[in-house]
Amino acid sequence: MKRLLLPLLMMALSLPLTARNAPAALLDQAQEAYAKGHHQQALALYDSINTEYTSAGLLYNIGNCYSKLGDFPRAILYYEKALRLSPGAEDVQANLDMERTKVVDRMNQRPAFTLGSAWDRLQGGKDVDQWARRSIWASILMAFFAGAGLLIRPTYAKRLLYGAAGIALVASVASAALAAYRVHNVEQRSEAIILSPSVEILGEPRQGSTRLFILHQGTKVDLLDHQGEWQEVRLPSGAVGWLPTTSIGVI
Amino acid sequence: MSYRALLTAWIAASGFLLQAQEITFQATVDRNEIASGEPVKLSIELTNASAGGGMSTPDMGGLVVMQGPMESSNFSFINGRTSRSTTRTWHLTATAPGNYTIGPSTVRIGNSELKTVPITIKVSKGASGGTSNQAIDKAQQRDPNLFCTISLSKNKAFVGEQLVATYTLFSRYNSLQPKDYDLPKLNGFWAEEVDLGNTNWEAQLRTINGVQYRVAILKKQVLIPLRSGKLTVAPMTLNYMVNPSFFSSGTPVRIQSNAVDVNVAELPSGKPADFSGAVGDLRLQVTAPSGQVKANEAIDLSLTFSGRANLKLLDAPKLNLPPDFDSYDPKVSDKITVNGSGMSGSREYQYVIIPRHEGTYDLGSLTFSYFDPASGSYKELRSQPLSFSVGPGDAAAATTGGTSPKVDVQRLGSDIRYIRTGDLQLRPRGKFLYGSAAWILGMTLPPALLLLTFLWHRRREQRMGDAQGQRRRGADRVARKHLAAAQTALEKNDQGAFHDAVGKAMEGYFADKFNLGVAEVNAAMIQDKLGQMDQGRTAAEYIALINEAQMARFAPIVEKPSKQAYDEAVAIISRIESRYRK
Repeated sequence: MKRLLLPLLMMALSLPLTARNAPAALLDQAQEAYAKGHHQQALALYDSINTEYTSAGLLYNIGNCYSKLGDFPRAILYYEKALRLSPGAEDVQANLDMERTKVVDRMNQRPAFTLGSAWDRLQGGKDVDQWARRSIWASILMAFFAGAGLLIRPTYAKRLLYGAAGIALVASVASAALAAYRVHNVEQRSEAIILSPSVEILGEPRQGSTRLFILHQGTKVDLLDHQGEWQEVRLPSGAVGWLPTTSIGVI
Repeated sequence: MSYRALLTAWIAASGFLLQAQEITFQATVDRNEIASGEPVKLSIELTNASAGGGMSTPDMGGLVVMQGPMESSNFSFINGRTSRSTTRTWHLTATAPGNYTIGPSTVRIGNSELKTVPITIKVSKGASGGTSNQAIDKAQQRDPNLFCTISLSKNKAFVGEQLVATYTLFSRYNSLQPKDYDLPKLNGFWAEEVDLGNTNWEAQLRTINGVQYRVAILKKQVLIPLRSGKLTVAPMTLNYMVNPSFFSSGTPVRIQSNAVDVNVAELPSGKPADFSGAVGDLRLQVTAPSGQVKANEAIDLSLTFSGRANLKLLDAPKLNLPPDFDSYDPKVSDKITVNGSGMSGSREYQYVIIPRHEGTYDLGSLTFSYFDPASGSYKELRSQPLSFSVGPGDAAAATTGGTSPKVDVQRLGSDIRYIRTGDLQLRPRGKFLYGSAAWILGMTLPPALLLLTFLWHRRREQRMGDAQGQRRRGADRVARKHLAAAQTALEKNDQGAFHDAVGKAMEGYFADKFNLGVAEVNAAMIQDKLGQMDQGRTAAEYIALINEAQMARFAPIVEKPSKQAYDEAVAIISRIESRYRK
C-alpha cells in the first residue's frame, strides 16, 4: 500500500507544474515583436496570454509595452500587479519609479516595503507557491519522523525523532498560514490606479453631486465600498470620495 | 513641332519654287511653346514675289493679338542676284492654357494661290494666373494712364512653399520720372529679391482692353509664407513725375497697386520626427571618407541639399553622433540662385567630426525629411549608411603611453528596463498551490500514512503476542490492584489479608517487571536487578518489605497493619516504575 501511495503523492506535488508550456509559441512571438520595437503587437500577444496565464514576468512585460506606447497609467497598473506577485522585484520597482515621475498628482506614496527585503523573503519572493510547497514538505517530514519514532526501540533517538516530528508539525502549520497570507495578498483587490486623464471625485455615488477634488491618471487609491458603477476610494492623504468604476484599473 | 512645321512649309514652298522660280511663302513663329500671358511672334514672309492683292490675315485660332500686323519689306542685291521679301509680323498671346492653331494665310500670285502651313502653339499655365488679369482690369479702371499691379505665381500655398511676386508697371505716358516709392509691407513672409538688373521697358507694347501700354517689370520677389492663414501682400505706392521737360519737372502722379491675398495652408499632419520645415523638391548627397580613419583626426562630413526649395531657410540637420565623437557647428556654403521661378540651387553643410576613441561606429543612415507641395506629402531623404572604423590615433598613442585618460561614463538618456525574457514562469490565472486539491492531498496524505503506520504497528505487536511486554506493561496495574486490596484490608484492620496483599503486590510486580516466575523472586535476584538503583537502597527496602510481608503471613505476630508499609510499597513501586518505564 505504501509503495502505491508514494508515487501518488509525488504526482500530486508535480501537478501544478505540468500546465506550464501551453502558450510558449505565443510568448515567443510576443518577445520577438517587442525586441523589434513592435510594441502594439507585443502588447496584444501578451494580453492574449494573460487571459489565461499570469506571472510577475508577464505582467512586467505588459507594463513595459504600455510604457513604450506612452500609456503610463496602465504601465503603472501592470507594474503594481507584477509587484503583487513578486514583492520587491528590482526591475519592476525601477520601472515603476520611472513611470511614477510622470504622475501629476503629488501624493505621498506610502513607502512600499518598510520592512525591507527580509519580509519579502519571508513572504516567498516572487514564488507565490513557495510556502504552500514548504507546508507540504514539513507535513511529509513530520509523518516521516513520527513514523520512524514509532517503529524504533525505546531509546533517546526515539525521543529525538518525536521532537523533530513536533517541530515539523509546527513548521507545516506555520507555512500553511504564510501561504494563505500570501494568496490573500495576491488575490486582494484593495487598490487601484486612476486610468482616466483626470477624474472628479464626488461626495456621493451620483452624477452631479458635490465635487470634492480632481485626480489625474497614474495616481494610486485604496478601494473601499462599491455601489453599482461607483467606487468609493481613499486617497493616501486619507480623503474619501466616489468615482466611476470605468476610470480606474484595479491592481 | 516648330521645326516640322517649318520643314513642311519649306518643302511645300520649295516644291513650288521648282515651278515658280524661287517664290516662297511661309509662316514662322519664334517659339511654339509659351506660358499664358507671354508673347509669341508670328511672321509671314513672302519672297521673290509681290503680294499684289495682299496676303490674307490668318485665323489666329483664339490667340489674342497684342500688336500688329507690322509690315516690312526687304530688298537685297547680292552677287548680281536680287531678292526681295515682304514680312508681316504679329505679337500674339494667349490668356488661357491650351493648344492654339494659327490657320493658313493665303496669297494670290498670278493665277496660283499660295498657302502657309498651320502652326500649333502650345500654351502652358503661366506664372501670372487669371487673377492678375482681373487685378490689371481694376487697376486700369483706377487710372487708365499709369498703374501698377502685384501678381503672385499662386494664390494658394503651403507654409514654406515658394511664391513669386511680380510688380509690374503699365504706362501710356511717353516720359516718366520715378520720384519715390513705398515697398509693400510683407507680413508673414520671408522675401528674397530676384535680381532683374536695370528696370527696362519691355520691347513690346501690351494691349489691355484695347489700350496699348508700355510695360516694365519693376521688381520680382520670391516670397515664402512663414505662417498659415490668409496673408496679404500690401499695396505698393509709387510716385512719379509725368512728362518732365526742360521747362517743367512734370506733373506728380501717385499710384497705388492692388493688394494680393494668398491663402496659406498649414502643412498636413503626420510630420516626420526629423522634419524641420524644408518645403520644395530636394535631393541629398552625403560625402564622407570611407574605410579607416584615425582617432583624434578630423573627418569631413558634407551634406549637400540641392533642388528647388526654401534652401535659405533650412536648418542644419542634426547628426546623431555617438558621444565618443566631438562635432562642431557645420560650415554652410550656399550656391543658391533666386530667379523668376523661385529659389533653387544647393546648400552644403560641412561638418567636422572627430572620433575620440578607437572602435567601429555605425552611424546608420542620415535622414532628412521635407515636404513636397507638388504631391502634398512628406518625403524622406536617406543617405547610404555611414560607418567609420576608427583606428588608433598617432597622437593619442604617443602622449598617453598606454594608459587612457579616464572619463566619467556619460548618461545619455533614461529608459525603462528591458522586458523579462526566457522562462516567465507562467501559471494559470488565479490558481495557487495553496488551497488546491494537490495541496490538500499533500497536507493530509503524510498524517494519514502516519496513522496507518501506527495502526499497522500496533496490530503487529498484538499479533506477535508480546506476552513479556504486556506483562511488563501490566506489572504496575496488577501491583496497584493488590495494593488497593491491601488498602481495603488496612481499613478493615485485617492484618492477614493486608500483609498477604502487600506481599503479592511486591513479589508479583517484581516478577512481572523483570519477566520472572514468582518462585524466582528472592533477595539475590532483587539485589541483582535493582542493585544499581539509589546505591542499593531501593533493593534493600524492597527486600525488607517482602520479608516483612512473608513474616506476617507465615508467623502471624499480633501486629497492627502498617500504614507505613503500605506507603513504602506504593512509593517504591512508583519509583521503579518511573525508572523502568516502557
